[in-house]
Amino acid sequence: MRIYLLLFFCICFSFSQAQESFPINGVKETFKPVHAFINANIYISYNQIIKKGTLLIQDGKILNVDSNLSIPEGSIVHDLQGDYIYPGFIDLYSSYGVKTIAKSKSSSYPQYESNKKGAYHWNEAIHPEVNSSEIFEVNKKDAIRYLEMGFTTVLSHSQNGIFRGSGCLVNLSSKNENENIILPKAASFYSFKKGTSKQRYPTSLMGSIALIRQTLLDAEWHENTNNNTNLSYNDYNNQKDLPQIFDIKNVLSYSRLFKISDEFEIDFIAKGNGKEFLIVDEIKSVGFPLIVPVNFPKAYDVTNPEDAQEISLQNLKNWETAPFNLKILSDNDIQFCITSSDLKNNKEFLTNLRIAVTKGLSQEQALKALTVTPARILGVEEKIGSLEKNKSANFLITSGNIFEQGFIYETWSLGEKNIIKQKIKHEFRGYYTLNSDQFKDYFVEISGSKSKPKVKIDQVDSMAFITKIDKDKIIISNTNKFRSTGKLSDNYIKGKYQDSLGDFHTYIMKKDSSLINKKEKEFILEIDSVVPKVWFPNKSFGMIQKPEQGKIIFQNATIWTNEELGILKESDIAIYNGKIIAVGKELKINEVFKSDTSNVKLINSEGKHITSGIIDEHSHIAISSGVNESSQAVTAEVSIADVINPFDHNIYRQLAGGVTSSQLLHGSANPIGGQSAIIKLRWGQSAEEMKIKNSDGFIKFALGENVKQSNWGSNNTTRFPQTRMGVEQVFFDAFYRAKNYKKKWDTYNKLSQRKKRSINPPREDLELNILAEILDQKRFITCHSYVESEINMLMHVADSMGFKINTFTHILEGYKIADKLFKHGAGGSTFSDWWAYKFEVNDAIPYNATLLNNAKVITAINSDDAEMGRRLNQEAAKAIKYGGTSEEEAWKMVTLNPAKLLHLDKKIGSLSVGKDADIVLWSDNPLSIYAKAEKTFIDGRCYFDINQNKFLESRDKKERARIINKLNQSKEKNKIKVTKQKKDKLYHCDTLDHE
Amino acid sequence: MNKLKLIILILTVSCSISSAQEKTLFIGGIAHLGNGEKISNSVISVVDGKFDIVANLSEIRIDPQAYDTIYKIYGKHVYPGFIVPNTTLGITEIDAVRATHDFDETGSINPNVRSVIAYNPQSKIVETVLTNGVLLAQVTPNGGLVSGQSSLMYLNGWNWEDAICKIDDGIHLHWPSSYYNTGWWAEQGETKRNKKYQEKIKEIHSLFEKALAYSTSNNLLDLKMESMKGLFSGEKNLYIHANYANDIRDAIDISKLYKIKKIILVGAEDALMVSDKITENNIPLILNRIHRLPKNEDESIDAPFTQAQKLLQKNILFSFSYEGDMEAMGARNLPFTAGTAVAYGLDYEEAVKAITLNPAIIMGVDNKIGSIEQNKEATFFISEGDALDIRTNNVTHIFIKGNKISTDNHQKRLFNKYKKK
Repeated sequence: MRIYLLLFFCICFSFSQAQESFPINGVKETFKPVHAFINANIYISYNQIIKKGTLLIQDGKILNVDSNLSIPEGSIVHDLQGDYIYPGFIDLYSSYGVKTIAKSKSSSYPQYESNKKGAYHWNEAIHPEVNSSEIFEVNKKDAIRYLEMGFTTVLSHSQNGIFRGSGCLVNLSSKNENENIILPKAASFYSFKKGTSKQRYPTSLMGSIALIRQTLLDAEWHENTNNNTNLSYNDYNNQKDLPQIFDIKNVLSYSRLFKISDEFEIDFIAKGNGKEFLIVDEIKSVGFPLIVPVNFPKAYDVTNPEDAQEISLQNLKNWETAPFNLKILSDNDIQFCITSSDLKNNKEFLTNLRIAVTKGLSQEQALKALTVTPARILGVEEKIGSLEKNKSANFLITSGNIFEQGFIYETWSLGEKNIIKQKIKHEFRGYYTLNSDQFKDYFVEISGSKSKPKVKIDQVDSMAFITKIDKDKIIISNTNKFRSTGKLSDNYIKGKYQDSLGDFHTYIMKKDSSLINKKEKEFILEIDSVVPKVWFPNKSFGMIQKPEQGKIIFQNATIWTNEELGILKESDIAIYNGKIIAVGKELKINEVFKSDTSNVKLINSEGKHITSGIIDEHSHIAISSGVNESSQAVTAEVSIADVINPFDHNIYRQLAGGVTSSQLLHGSANPIGGQSAIIKLRWGQSAEEMKIKNSDGFIKFALGENVKQSNWGSNNTTRFPQTRMGVEQVFFDAFYRAKNYKKKWDTYNKLSQRKKRSINPPREDLELNILAEILDQKRFITCHSYVESEINMLMHVADSMGFKINTFTHILEGYKIADKLFKHGAGGSTFSDWWAYKFEVNDAIPYNATLLNNAKVITAINSDDAEMGRRLNQEAAKAIKYGGTSEEEAWKMVTLNPAKLLHLDKKIGSLSVGKDADIVLWSDNPLSIYAKAEKTFIDGRCYFDINQNKFLESRDKKERARIINKLNQSKEKNKIKVTKQKKDKLYHCDTLDHE
Repeated sequence: MNKLKLIILILTVSCSISSAQEKTLFIGGIAHLGNGEKISNSVISVVDGKFDIVANLSEIRIDPQAYDTIYKIYGKHVYPGFIVPNTTLGITEIDAVRATHDFDETGSINPNVRSVIAYNPQSKIVETVLTNGVLLAQVTPNGGLVSGQSSLMYLNGWNWEDAICKIDDGIHLHWPSSYYNTGWWAEQGETKRNKKYQEKIKEIHSLFEKALAYSTSNNLLDLKMESMKGLFSGEKNLYIHANYANDIRDAIDISKLYKIKKIILVGAEDALMVSDKITENNIPLILNRIHRLPKNEDESIDAPFTQAQKLLQKNILFSFSYEGDMEAMGARNLPFTAGTAVAYGLDYEEAVKAITLNPAIIMGVDNKIGSIEQNKEATFFISEGDALDIRTNNVTHIFIKGNKISTDNHQKRLFNKYKKK
């Protein structure tokens, strides 16, 4: 009695919370019946089941759940006869009930400023002020889509922009918004995509990253200084304590997000893309909880062998491995929730979930990821996620184990029933005797399945009956001779039929015996225990493991030292622990390796040439989602280091061309571009592992036609600058701003701690930080340039502002002012022979490298092109052909000289003891057209070997054949007739593509 | 051989009698004849703009008195003029300046337009290509389904008219591609079958059908149809630009259906997959630029380099080209692409053949150019070293139809000016 009383109060309380304040038009309905679900297998939580239990709910809440509960009088009783009850699923990534924002009209003219009215952020993609609960509307049709999948609660947000605002946690009942919203601000959402914003900035992924970082800095500064009103920052600052959910569209973005997380001490929850298996170790180390879709790739139609050949091995492997994704995450103890997001059809959800279970995901983990984990992440375990007293009556009733073959009959959200599938309670099957005024004692057999029975009437032979049942009603008809409706009660089916003359007759069928039940096939869960091997990257030529550091003596080679020793004939070179440890004639093992002479590999290199690895000073390979932040004239805040793509197969191709290091440069769309990344081509390793540690920072500048948008079409004529005159002013302006900025900070930094506390710090500006680094000689400039006037101009600007140009890249008219370059101390990194592709390269000549080199300008030859990048040894030979440079000097143009330009010549660029073992074994003189790189080492590890390459080709062929056979046997319907791979995007300086 | 010697002697004698004509002798060069043969210590004479003696120096007797000029070129290399097929060289000048583009006429079917009259032998680019040993170019319109007619041009001349080697040698048909791209570049989208492919194929059918009917009728003059007449008589080649195996098969079948006499495949990336069909129909190829990336991420990284050697094993006739980005200015690198093919297994003389005699055969001018053989035009050059290797390609003498051509160009002039600065 006491319990009941207590419950009564609880009910009253919850009731009054929900609707009490609303006036009623009519008579108040006070009766809230109790629903009692009996004889059910109840998962009260993901790891706890009650067999034959009872669940009591009332007014949207759970009254009690247990075995052997007494049922209050006046309850509505549902006898589930052994059906299952699961806690309602929770989806943390949804836009349910939140209208998608219509795309604004696209204009062919660029929009540089925000069109949003009001006291908001300057960028249209930053709108933390969007509060989804304010725009949330209950939508019965969309709710059903979720209820059908078993979801009773979703976290809904407006999936648009970079700072997307807050999402609301809502139940999926048809009650009003007030009752459905659990938490109006449950989490804050972010992504790297600017969504419907038409404002130019950002045009690239690295731009998005910079924008996020600057916004986070500004929000903090704004909070501390309170300068003027900015509603966006206010709203962001108010949301900081909410769970921060970040949409990751690409697995490589996990490490990008991690860097932001680390810098700003924000714990993110990452919404993944379903391909986490590709870099599971990295994700594990990052440690974010994940929200993972089950969007497995569809099987490919491989019936046409020629078409099948065009499917990339990468896609084949992903098709095979994606269903194992959740198992792999689970095996690695990564916390995850499952979302129905990213599916084309909601029917795929349960299907794919079950596939994941057959691939080894435990059912307990699956249920946890759909219930408790999401509830825990949002801190609403008290309310949802399991079936316990006082929690919301959110659950689903299924015919059996939902992860095997049970289907959902009903989904209850907030105590409201939604029928998903009719439960077939009535058993029609059996043997009957049929009587009517026309038939006497006809024998009838009703067999088939419970939901789709088949009827056979003995003396009305060979006529197929169409049978339909709806609860206790049954329609039995064949083509116009016999059309009947009947109703089952006890052991009879009684009804009427109409004969071919149109006359109605009544009939009665008496059940003589039940059907001798053929045992229904028992479901056996078969688990596919062979998890496919993931390569790094998971595509052709991918690595299985990181190569060992060699302990090697190459013997009897021609060695191009790039040092005073020059080119040594018939000499040896030894490497160990990633370094060069000896160079000379007839090296002795015991002298080189002292006592540690075990496992030394001797490589006979007679007739072959050994050089240091090629260094490409100007490359755009291995970059994700945009090489240009082309929106503004100055974008020093963006960095290629944020968007390295270690999966780019051009890395492997260039290793095969003897390239070991590259500077990945920002493009040339603006006078001050972004920061570059300097990497070694460590194929198979992560973006972070590819970077050369402790290298100096560089930044791209650019001049001429690209920055003044000369070739961007007639709509792009408004961004400043449009002339070379304007370009100069951009530099003056930027560096004046940088100087003032530096001064402000220097003054501030000199203050005592006490004084600092009493005043506001200056605003931190990521763009000016980088320009200040240039003034401090901590960051160095590589400037895209063509004609002599502009080169001269920039040197004047630099001299007057107190900085230096480290390298002019392209510098095709450098030969006209080589003396001035030398005086300024700038190097030149040029094309061997490109010209005639635009007006400003009309005076470009292939003698440029030689003329620059002769003028003592440090001269490199670069690629700026993924194809040329793998033949830079040939390009170097053009300095010999055209200008008559010596072979030794020409070779330095692709090795030692770029190392100098990158300030890395102490580590790489030549063969001397103590330098990195980045070396290439060539079949011939490396400058010869007939030379091939046979082995390419980085840090003493062999990343390319011409024989190993043949092995990889045959391995890949076998792998392809194996998966294609598997696909051919796959019974999946609607296989995709995708037939060919997408061409890779290759970047040059001028590449302007963006979203 | 004795007989040959005798003939040569007689010829020499007879030539020396008619002293009014210019006679030049080249002694000691390493001659790559273009027909697959090489003479390491050669003697070559040019009489009246044509090759006369082509022999091994040790095997014949020469009377130096009989020659007006004698070049001693011991250790230097001699090649027939290299030919770059399928190029916009001479009909474009600066990629980013639209005003200089004369290769892409508006509209999709333009068999009647002719590159020859737009060709500019004074182009600054042309002279830089010439000076690397490429002496002829098949100047080719580009764009649309039928881009127009190409002509084989010398890279030297007072005007287009006297630069002609073969006028209107063929019509270029850009076969529709079976596949098209989906998605966008940052998301790993894929490419699907081109649903408009069949539609385009129908368009080709109706074009050929009409052209075939016209070729035997006495209708009023129709410029497009008239220009296609030569395809059925064998006067003009049909150059079909196609890369996928499926497209290549369709292209061959459909052209044969309409009785087109001479078909040449241009591009032919997938040629090895359909080599049987190509051999069966005896179709020559103009290959894509060798210095290109593999067609996709799964392809062998050296596939573009080894393709030629594999085609040779199948007895398929091919020529190299430099089609693609910056193809006009880059045409001067054609010899080096042949060098790369040698690095990856192609016989050296076969590589030379693929940029000399083979394109001449394809364009039907092998009776007058393409190799260093008696009575062929003396269109050739001398290089200090191996012309297929960048290090050693140094063209010192160029002759077109026996006339010595300047080896100077815009870029050398700038070099000479600024090296003195």
